[in-house]
Amino acid sequence: MGSLTAFVIYAFALYAGYTSVGIVPIVVGISLFGVWGSYYSSDKIVLAMTGAKVIDHDTAPQLFNLVHEITIASGLPMPKVAIVQDDAPNAFATGRDPEHAVIAFTTGILEAMDREQLQGVAAHELAHVANRDTLVSAVAATTAGAIALLSDFLIRISLFGGGRRDSNGGANPLVLVAAIVAAILAPIAAILLKAAISRKREALADATAVAFTRNPTGLRRALETLAADSTVVHQKSNAVAHLWIESPLDNKFTSKLFATHPAIEDRIANLRALEKSGPSAS
Amino acid sequence: MNGTFVILGILALLVFFGVIQYNKLVRLNVAVDEGFAQIEVQLQRRGDLIPNLVETVKGYAAHEKETFEKVVQARAQATAAQGVAAVAEADGMLTQALRGLLAVAEAYPDLEASANFLSLQEELSGTENKVGFARQFYNDKVRALNEIIVGIPGKFFAGPANVVEREFYVVDDPGKRNVPNVSFS
Repeated sequence: MGSLTAFVIYAFALYAGYTSVGIVPIVVGISLFGVWGSYYSSDKIVLAMTGAKVIDHDTAPQLFNLVHEITIASGLPMPKVAIVQDDAPNAFATGRDPEHAVIAFTTGILEAMDREQLQGVAAHELAHVANRDTLVSAVAATTAGAIALLSDFLIRISLFGGGRRDSNGGANPLVLVAAIVAAILAPIAAILLKAAISRKREALADATAVAFTRNPTGLRRALETLAADSTVVHQKSNAVAHLWIESPLDNKFTSKLFATHPAIEDRIANLRALEKSGPSAS
Repeated sequence: MNGTFVILGILALLVFFGVIQYNKLVRLNVAVDEGFAQIEVQLQRRGDLIPNLVETVKGYAAHEKETFEKVVQARAQATAAQGVAAVAEADGMLTQALRGLLAVAEAYPDLEASANFLSLQEELSGTENKVGFARQFYNDKVRALNEIIVGIPGKFFAGPANVVEREFYVVDDPGKRNVPNVSFS
C-alpha cells in the first residue's frame, strides 16, 4: 500500500517538482493522506489486491471455528475470515484495528495442513492483529516511501537551486554531494527499516500465538510444512509481501538483509525451544 | 505558601494513584465475569449439539444404550449447574461422557464416514476447544486479579472497589492427566 502511495506522489513530484519548492507542503499533505488512507481502509484495499473472498461459518465451518477459538483464547473480537484462491500455502492478517481485522488463508494452506497446524497459523495471524502489526506495517511502508521521496526532493533542490532565493550563484557542491549520498542511502535505509520492523514483528507474533494456544507444536509443524513447500504465491507484489506468514517472494532475489521475514528455520528452532521448556501454567 | 503546594501536589498524586489501582481492579473483575460468561456460552453451545449427535450415533449403533444415557445424564447435570465449582465439575463429567460416545462411534466405520457425523464432530471438537480456551482466558484473568488483591497496594483498594478473590475454574479430567508426554527430539 505504502509503495503505491509513494509511487503516486513520486509521479506527481516528477511532474511538478521542477517548478517550485513550494510544492513540498502539498506533497507532504498528499503523503499524510496516503498514510491515513492505508491506515483507515487497509482491510478493503488488501482484500481487493489479493482477491480474497470473505467467508462465514456455513461456507467453511472448520476454518471459521478455528479462528473463533483463538478469539476466545485471546479475548479479541471475531475478525472477518477470507479465503484466497491460490495453490501456495500462505496466510495474512490486515485491518487498522482488532474491530476491522481480516484474516485470509490461501486454498493451498487449507489443503496442506491439519487442524492443529491451521490453529497455529490462525493464532499467528491473530497475534499480528493483537500486536497492532497491521497498523505498524502500513505506517512503516508509507514512511519508507516518504523517506525516498524526501531524498528525491533534496537532490532536486540542490541541483536546480532553491529558485529565486538562490543568491549565492549556483549550488554549493558540498550540499550536492550530501544530497546525492542521501538520495542513494535513504531509500535503502527505508527498505531495511521496513524489513527489520517486519522481522521483529514476525518473531513476536510467533511468541504471542503460543501465548494464545499454549501449544507451540501446531505452529512449529505448520512452519515446517511451509518450509518444505516450494510453491510461491502467484501475486507476489512487493507491496503486500510483508503481510504474509511466509515470504511470498523468491529467495533468490531477496537476500537475508532485505527479507521481511526471519529465516523460517530460526522460527522453527525458537518454537522447538518453547516445546522443550514444557507447557506453561494452566 | 510553597509547602501547601507541595502537600497539594502529593495529595493529587495519591488520588491519581488510587484511581488507577481502583480502575485496574474493577476492570479485571469485569474481565473475570466476561470470561465466565464465555465459558457458559460455549458449554451451552456444546449442550445444544448433543441431542443431534446422540441421534446420529443412535442411527448406527442403537444398542449402545449405556453410553447414550451417560451423555444425556451428564448434559442434564451440566444444564442445571450453578456457580464456578459446580459448572466446572459438570463440564468435566460431560467431557468424559462425550469422549466415551466418540469412542463408540469409532467402532462403526459407516457412521464415521457419514457427512452428518463428520460435521457434528467438527462442531463438537471446535466447541470443545472453545470451552478450553474460554477456561484458559478466565483462569488467566482470575490469576491476575487474585495476585493484585493479595498483594500491596491492591489489598487496600479491593474493599472500596467491592472486589473479592475469585475462584479458579478447575476441571477434574482424569483422561487429560494421563496423556503421555512423548518427545523424540
